[in-house]
Amino acid sequence: MIKLEHLTKDYGKIRAVDDLSFQIGRNEIFGLLGPNGAGKSTTIKILTTLVKPSGGRAALDGFDVVREPLEVKKRIGVVPQENNLDRELSAFDNLRIYGLLHHLPDLEQKIEEQLRSVDLWERRKDNIQTFSGGMQRRLLIARAALGGPRVLFLDEPTIGLDPQVRREIWNMIRRLRAQGGTVLLTTHYIEEAEALSDRVGILSRGKLIALDTPANLKKMVGEYVVEYLDGEGNQLTRMCAGREDAECFLREAGIEVRRRRSNLEDVFVKLTGERIEK
Amino acid sequence: MNWYPIFLREMIQFKKKLFRLGYIFTSMMVPLLYLLAFGLGLGRSIQVPGGSYLGFLLPGLVAMSSMNNAYNWVASGLNLSRVYFKTFQVLIQSPIAPTSIMAGYVLAGMVRGLFASLMIILVGLGARAGFQLTPLFVFTLLLNCFLFANMGVLIGMITKTHEDTSTYANFFILPMVFFSGTFFPIDRMPAVLQAVVLCLPLTHTNILIRKTALDGQGITAILVMLGYALFFFVLGARKIKNYSE
Ligand SMILES: Nc1ncnc2c1ncn2[C@@H]1O[C@H](COP(=O)(O)OP(=O)(O)OP(=O)(O)O)[C@@H](O)[C@H]1O
Ligand SMILES: [Mg+2]
Repeated sequence: MIKLEHLTKDYGKIRAVDDLSFQIGRNEIFGLLGPNGAGKSTTIKILTTLVKPSGGRAALDGFDVVREPLEVKKRIGVVPQENNLDRELSAFDNLRIYGLLHHLPDLEQKIEEQLRSVDLWERRKDNIQTFSGGMQRRLLIARAALGGPRVLFLDEPTIGLDPQVRREIWNMIRRLRAQGGTVLLTTHYIEEAEALSDRVGILSRGKLIALDTPANLKKMVGEYVVEYLDGEGNQLTRMCAGREDAECFLREAGIEVRRRRSNLEDVFVKLTGERIEK
Repeated sequence: MNWYPIFLREMIQFKKKLFRLGYIFTSMMVPLLYLLAFGLGLGRSIQVPGGSYLGFLLPGLVAMSSMNNAYNWVASGLNLSRVYFKTFQVLIQSPIAPTSIMAGYVLAGMVRGLFASLMIILVGLGARAGFQLTPLFVFTLLLNCFLFANMGVLIGMITKTHEDTSTYANFFILPMVFFSGTFFPIDRMPAVLQAVVLCLPLTHTNILIRKTALDGQGITAILVMLGYALFFFVLGARKIKNYSE
């Protein structure tokens, strides 16, 4: 559904995206992880026709994002990292203008459906300026989903949302996939990537340094993690391939330790040398 | 009809502003000040061919206001939505042609320009300054709004900060207010300056808007204005097409 070939973007001397090549299949939920400044947003902006790449190519449903942007735009919904709602308009008008721009049929009905699904129907006539951060985030998601896009891009969709709303957003994303949609999302919440993604790509300094299912990625770095404190009270971690390795390390160290299953965060830290959760 | 949602969005905003107390008053302020200072004060000593100075000044003020308002609304609105509110991203990511985005903004700017002119026209009609609403007058007014709304799109697309839009206004718009025949006929100026001033679009608006019938000079004026409008339209549409953050 999405295909990147040697995609590159330079901002002056900064290479934001560096020779990216990978594919995302139809009906897949693909998670893009990476530390701040890794190039996640830039990649999404290129795929959604907002940024022109400096080199390489990208196509969505077979349409080149630079040469056939109109075809690409017909197929996408975008939740940007930075709020770009129209702050001078009501929630309803925000969706109405969006729907008109996208030539959506049965617009009023769709708007009601979406606003109800993010629990904002009662507030539809209120100005966006009076919305809390989480409400604005929900409205952004409702707007992106309004036309039932074939590909939904979500750049840190659940940032600032409470756990309950986050679960609802996850369900929305899964519903969209169940209806045949494809999803590309970035997140700093590891459990979000683990809960949603069929496959995960890890970006570091614009380069793709790993791409696999969450399970395989964990296997790759070692399925068990030993966390222990050194003399100064700093927490250290040690990745172990299996339970036995972990126990062996425990015996040798002879210190107070905790053993747990590895998670995607461990994959991330091991591969990028940086922590991901803010 | 692709331009419609963009136009609609601008109109919702315009309507809201209209109801804000003082908005109409502020937008009337500048032309009224000019009208009082020049029309009643200075005007008494200025001789214009055929008729009263007020009759000469009013069409000039209409041209000036429609230019200012059409330009400002579009240039600053577009700049803000691009640089500050980021709502322009939504337009770029929607399946509409760059020319539709252009058309939506231009039409909204024209409405804004016409609205501002209407106020002065009403004052003019009320003051009975030998001022008549001819079809040529209305045509000129529309063309002028169209021209400067197009310029607004281009400037709104190239300015990096919001302050830049007023810098452009100070360099291109303000000199035209004073030298393009708003307050006095351009033939009062030295020949060299006249030649320069004849290259400015507003000069031709001022020539055309004061004509009672279309003649050779009037047709030239229309062609120059259309030329400028086309120039701004093509450059503006290209800027939108090549937009990249
Ligand atoms: N408009 C721009 N002009 C110049 N540099 C930019 C621009 N946009 C992004 N960059 C640079 O490109 C790099 C990648 O930025 P990007 O926003 O894609 O990172 P990210 O992975 O989304 O980070 P975050 O997790 O903080 O959102 C950064 O070094 C950033 O400074
Ligand atoms: Mg980002």
